Amino acid sequence: MRAAGFVTALVFAALPFAAAQNTGDSAAVSNILALEHAWDQAQERGDVKAMAAILDNSLVYVDFDGQILNKAGYLDRVKSNSVHMQQIISEQMSVQMFGETAIVIGSYREKGVENGKPYVRRGRFTDTWVLINAHWMCIAAGTTPILH
Amino acid sequence: MWKLFFVFLLLLAPPRLPAQTKPPDADQARILGLENAWARAVKQKDISALQMLLVPELVYVDYDGTLMNKAEYLSSVHSFALRPQRIVNESISVRLYGAAAVVTGVYRENGEKGGKPYVLRERFTDTWVRHGESWMCVSSDSTLIGQ
Repeated sequence: MRAAGFVTALVFAALPFAAAQNTGDSAAVSNILALEHAWDQAQERGDVKAMAAILDNSLVYVDFDGQILNKAGYLDRVKSNSVHMQQIISEQMSVQMFGETAIVIGSYREKGVENGKPYVRRGRFTDTWVLINAHWMCIAAGTTPILH
Repeated sequence: MWKLFFVFLLLLAPPRLPAQTKPPDADQARILGLENAWARAVKQKDISALQMLLVPELVYVDYDGTLMNKAEYLSSVHSFALRPQRIVNESISVRLYGAAAVVTGVYRENGEKGGKPYVLRERFTDTWVRHGESWMCVSSDSTLIGQ
């Protein structure tokens, strides 16, 4: 549960920054990037509790194969014994702010074992965050395999 | 010209109720209309209409993972090599979060690319942000799904 504690700490540590968004977008950008990294770490650890804290209950998640998942479905997939993610690295992340909405884009490299077979994936992700009750929460996430 | 006029009306038509009392359904209907206008504009290569729907900072991720800004996306739509013949949006849902909205759906497109027929079926996620009384798309991404 160390990871859960880590992410929870990040979420609450970020609160003052979120509340003070009017002082500039840079605090919000830092906050959101921290949450993205916390998400990666929680994924590697299969830490569902940590992820649940940063994903809105209405989350819409589009996986690399085009499957659409709600929050429960996404967390179930992470928990699944059939997929064991060993490493995920987000790269070239950037955040665009539109008031209380933020778009994060980046690419990722992921490796792990699925149904006993090793896999490596490379994709592009787009996450949408909104400020809800002074918390930045992810409301939508889409992943697209990079085919070139 | 009527296409541009249609999009203009969608973007600027005054609401029937003050914004504070406007039911969410009105915004959902408006955004669905804009999604349909977008599909029409792509099919007809109507760049002027697209200019009105998309913010200058647009982030667009195509089905193959290509990342584009607004200018690159408009250029790809304008490309002579691409001739979409039919574009259909299906299973669309709109979720509102105050001044933001997330649209998910399935996009089917067929046409010719470089003289060869193509068929695409993609899951898309678009994020729209309120601009005054209307909405503009700030990001769009799509992922291929089976036919």
